[in-house]
Amino acid sequence: MTKTYKLPIGPAHVGLKEPVTAWLDIEGERIVDANVRPGAIHRGIEYMSRERNPIQCIFLAERVCGICSFSHSIAYAKAVEDAAQIATPVRAQYIRSLVLELERVHSHILWLSVACYSIGFDSAFHLGMALREKVMDALEALTGNRVNYAVTAIGGVRWDVTPEVDRCVRDLVAYYRNEFQPYYDAVINDPVVKARLRDVGVLPEADAVRLNAIGPTGRGSGLRADVRESSPYDAYADIPVKSIVPQDYFGECHGDVLDRYLVRLLEVYQSLDLLEKILDGLPAGPIAAFPKPVAGLAKMKMAEGFGYGCIEAPRGACTHAVELKKGDENLYMWKVCAPTYANSQAWPLMFIGNEIADAALIINSVDPCISCTERMIVTDRTTDRKAVYTKDELLKMSRQKTAELRRRMGK
Amino acid sequence: METYVGTDKKVTVKTAAEIEAMLKERLGDALTASEIREYKTGVCQLPAPHLLVTVTREKFLDLVDALGELDFPHFHVMSGNDDGETIRQISHFSLFRREGRGKEVTVTVTVHIPKNDLVIPSLHSRIPGIDYSEREMFEMLGIDHDGQPNKDLVFLPDGWDRSILPWRRDEKGPNGKNAPDGTPLVRELN
Repeated sequence: MTKTYKLPIGPAHVGLKEPVTAWLDIEGERIVDANVRPGAIHRGIEYMSRERNPIQCIFLAERVCGICSFSHSIAYAKAVEDAAQIATPVRAQYIRSLVLELERVHSHILWLSVACYSIGFDSAFHLGMALREKVMDALEALTGNRVNYAVTAIGGVRWDVTPEVDRCVRDLVAYYRNEFQPYYDAVINDPVVKARLRDVGVLPEADAVRLNAIGPTGRGSGLRADVRESSPYDAYADIPVKSIVPQDYFGECHGDVLDRYLVRLLEVYQSLDLLEKILDGLPAGPIAAFPKPVAGLAKMKMAEGFGYGCIEAPRGACTHAVELKKGDENLYMWKVCAPTYANSQAWPLMFIGNEIADAALIINSVDPCISCTERMIVTDRTTDRKAVYTKDELLKMSRQKTAELRRRMGK
Repeated sequence: METYVGTDKKVTVKTAAEIEAMLKERLGDALTASEIREYKTGVCQLPAPHLLVTVTREKFLDLVDALGELDFPHFHVMSGNDDGETIRQISHFSLFRREGRGKEVTVTVTVHIPKNDLVIPSLHSRIPGIDYSEREMFEMLGIDHDGQPNKDLVFLPDGWDRSILPWRRDEKGPNGKNAPDGTPLVRELN
């Protein structure tokens, strides 16, 4: 007799605006259905903004996400600038793109490493985390911070690119061009990694369109969609960016975890090229529309209307919408859409037909902010028996699957 | 109406002005406001077109279907606001995001819904990825989407009193109300 189990994966990590619990229906080891339930800890950031002015809200926006903090603050700033019709100096636009690319490099290397950790490839995990330190150092050199950079201002940025920072970023580009290849080769040429990630968590292109998949999740399904290409902004208006899709590089697209992995690997190289071009083309001029924040605040207080900002964050399009009301110092309305908001809706499709041992890997494959899958409760409907799988046990199952595969492949 | 995706679907790329003209012709007076913004960036001052339209509730589906004839409307998110007598639902779409450099047109669709009849047709059968946003609008503002198969909570915690609508500014909002454990939902700053 086939037993059906119901497995909730959650609760989610507090660093996420929309934490997610995935309820999996399983028969034996196989996932037959899935339902996603976010909302374990909604922080009410949009509500909080009603009591804060647009400058104070920059710091709220930065705290929507701990990894792509800069993406959120820039999408937010662009929305406010759109509403208040504030023109950002071109040099500031370039510096924004520079930090966005640095953030993409660190976010992608982090994810690539965590995916290796999930399948038990610890050497690649440690190598990746060691490589990532270089970009964290560069971010610290530019902004003084490693996570929440506090570099955004409405109408510009707060820190300029000095010759020292220029040298630091160029060093970083040279470093990764030399050091990233061994990592790329170690992972891509490993047959066990290929066997472990190929055809797991498949999302076909048509479903990626229907479910509004964005970023590397969509591109891993062959979708040529990148905001930097389709709607170029800031430095990308001058420097063309081409969407990276697996079929262009490998002749085929499977829409699986391996394709999402490859897209991110290649995007690290793309970001290195972009960083160099941004530095080469960095125009001279001011870095902020307002020399003093209070002048900007006065302009925003007099503004009335709706504003929209959308940029390509490491995980996909990050959308912010705001509304300002004349005479009111605080934000009248604010809506944040983190990329995981869109991509997590594709999870149920990705889960179906896969094994429990792949569940953690599939969740990770869209690079959600919930890297901490805390625990799963297994309910046996036939006997009403409950068991709890901890995160460690889930990880162990994933690693055991890799070890078994390795043994069978004689590696 | 099924979803807009088809294997033989041909995309017709248009500019924001052409889309606006098409919508005006199709919808007539039902299109109560429209505006085109071009936010320019970069040294080359490349414009990013943004079409903002306001449509009556009755013609909301017709408008989205008209967009769906051109390309699958990529849905970003819905925002909304309590404007007093009405609730505003703002849907953020993009067209032509797969059609190459600089082709994307952002389309923002606003609908004003009276508070005494807070219902609007759902887009779920056309754009399945709209699920979270419609449920979010329902739990936060009370907008009921006719045709949405799942009206469960999405971002609010289990056990939430559904008569409390967190984004409302009227008596249905969270001001002065308590959570199930007795703590106030809204605390004064300072």
